[in-house]
Amino acid sequence: MEIVTNPLFWLALLGLGVILLAFVALKKKALLNNVYVAVTISLLIAVAYFHIVDHYMMDMQGLDYWYLFRK
Amino acid sequence: MGGLTRNKTLSIMALGAMIGLLLLPIVVSMPALAGGGGTPAAGGPPPDVAKKADTPEAAKVEKGRDVYYKTEGIVSGAPAPKTADNPQFYPRYNFESRVLLWFANQQHLYYGSFVLAVPIFCMIIEFMGIISKDKAMAKKYDQLAYDFIKISLTAYSLTAILGGILIFTFLTLYPAFFGYLSSIFRPVMHIYALLFVAESGTIYIYYYGWDRMKEGLLKWIHVSMSVVLNVIGTTLMFLANSWIGFMMSPAGVDEQGRYLGNIWHSIHTALWNPLNVHRLLGNMAFGGGVVAAYAAYRFLASKTDEERAHYDWMGYIAMAIGVAFLIPLPFAGYWLMREVYAYRQQMGITLMGGLLAWLFIIQATMIGILFLSANYYLWQAMGRMRGAEKYQRYIKYMVFVLVCGFLIFITPHTMVMTPTELKAMGGQQHPVLGNYGVMSAKNGGINVIITTTVLSFIWYARGNKVPMVSWARFGNIFMGCFFGMAYINIIWLAIYGYYIPANVRVGLSVPQVATTLSCLFFMTALNLVMLKGAKHSGAIEWGKISVRSQYALIMLATAFTWMMGLMGYIRSSVRLFWHVNEIMRDNSPWAYTHTTGFAANMISFNVLFFWLTILFVFFLATLGVKKAPVEAKVTVPGRVPEPATH
Repeated sequence: MEIVTNPLFWLALLGLGVILLAFVALKKKALLNNVYVAVTISLLIAVAYFHIVDHYMMDMQGLDYWYLFRK
Repeated sequence: MGGLTRNKTLSIMALGAMIGLLLLPIVVSMPALAGGGGTPAAGGPPPDVAKKADTPEAAKVEKGRDVYYKTEGIVSGAPAPKTADNPQFYPRYNFESRVLLWFANQQHLYYGSFVLAVPIFCMIIEFMGIISKDKAMAKKYDQLAYDFIKISLTAYSLTAILGGILIFTFLTLYPAFFGYLSSIFRPVMHIYALLFVAESGTIYIYYYGWDRMKEGLLKWIHVSMSVVLNVIGTTLMFLANSWIGFMMSPAGVDEQGRYLGNIWHSIHTALWNPLNVHRLLGNMAFGGGVVAAYAAYRFLASKTDEERAHYDWMGYIAMAIGVAFLIPLPFAGYWLMREVYAYRQQMGITLMGGLLAWLFIIQATMIGILFLSANYYLWQAMGRMRGAEKYQRYIKYMVFVLVCGFLIFITPHTMVMTPTELKAMGGQQHPVLGNYGVMSAKNGGINVIITTTVLSFIWYARGNKVPMVSWARFGNIFMGCFFGMAYINIIWLAIYGYYIPANVRVGLSVPQVATTLSCLFFMTALNLVMLKGAKHSGAIEWGKISVRSQYALIMLATAFTWMMGLMGYIRSSVRLFWHVNEIMRDNSPWAYTHTTGFAANMISFNVLFFWLTILFVFFLATLGVKKAPVEAKVTVPGRVPEPATH
């Protein structure tokens, strides 16, 4: 299994997490405090967010965050 | 009514005068600043140059190339003096002149930092008092800001005296160097002096006008004056920073040190901005530490519960402000070091990989102590809140995480050893611990420490509160996941650094910092939203805190002071045998780097002297309080400390 090095994938994942959160918060409010749902959405957002941070913070300096994985 | 109108008019006039004073030096210096190709002074060229210009052979304008900006400019100053080891260039007593200068400089810097930081606190706290809807709290904030400025006022006089001593020390012991520096920065020094006059006027009006300007529009004018005061203070610091920036990374002069007519180039050197940011944050953290220590001292000496409650609260506020500025400080330091490397790689290596590297290990230890003390204080402070017990069982895990981060952060790359020890270990690096002596691991260590401190603050903020928002459970889970992933990301980046080349690895610190800052900003914001309308499980019982916590505050302040002394020494000694790096050589008998032991003793002496004198300042502040306690109780309701509920 290889890690996806395309930042758009992680942006999409973050977007998905935010959309899921918005959907649950607006349409299925009762589910919001369900531990499994909350953990899933939180992890989705947090994992995607930190990948994006890592990628763009390196990219900003002209460096490749995925250097090892591309090799 | 008439009196009030008159007061308003007078206050507006006073504020206008202050702003005028603030702008006056800039207007006065306009000819000098605008005359880019002119001279450092506001008038014509220096007399020696003017004389030469009269002769036909000198009519040709000589041009030079800026050592840093690489632009051409008209030579309008003398070359940097070539000094020799004799009393003409280095008059001396039967003592090391550099140590005298070090002492004078350090003491002036300590007090200067303190009096620059405290008015910023006053501004923030006074503003908090104005916008507070709770009248009792508003009065408490106002009184606290007043207490702060009162301490600062005595320290302000001492700063001025120490500044005078510093100039005399320069003039009498290093006349050639100081003459050269002042020939470059002549207009800047005049602006500095004028700004100092403006700051003095503002601070006295601000302090003595406190009671007369305590309500309505006048109060707003009063708080505006604190803004003016801080603008002046910060500008003063920036100007002083330009001199040390020039000494480390000169610009605006050619390779002989001849001034090229553009004062902005000499001010805006490669290291000026990082120095400004680093010093501003450092001063704030230091000021917070000193005021917290003052509050701790008063808490320990308190005779009544009311006094204890007041000084406990004061200590907490000062500590919180200090630590708020301490958190970004390592990042500002990192920026400064990056700029040093970018300016001269050799200078960076001398600092962090060569002659001065061991001082950085000491610095890492001090930073670790600062964060450990701040966390310890917060955990102790949770003891005065009902409901905070729920976090107590997690503290041991936080201690574990902090200690791991701390130990990695202070692990040296190589050890100073005897040949036998070297042989026993199998080389300069320990086979296991040596791996932690690199920046990749250290960045991970410090970011883990800072993230844990942010977590401690968030737990403290919600110690006696139960979130009542409908999505509270989701919020808690989200916060837990976010912090968890942040820790994983920081540690992952630290490990990842071992597997990639150095030129890529060096960039990993930026996402690590961004991760820590994400926790700071997003989680603090989330916590604030979650605590809106929260249920209180009990009031904060101000004053009911362990004595140990107050010693932690004193520890915090002492560590700040020691670290400031240390970093000042490191920054200054990186120039090695140069007064002005690569421009003016230091030919005094003291142009060598002291041993680490001597430097540590000297820093400790400076710290001790500062604390002895600042204790005297605290004592003077106590005398003022003793004189009017009854009057204060009668005329200002609410001045007596009341336990706050939030």
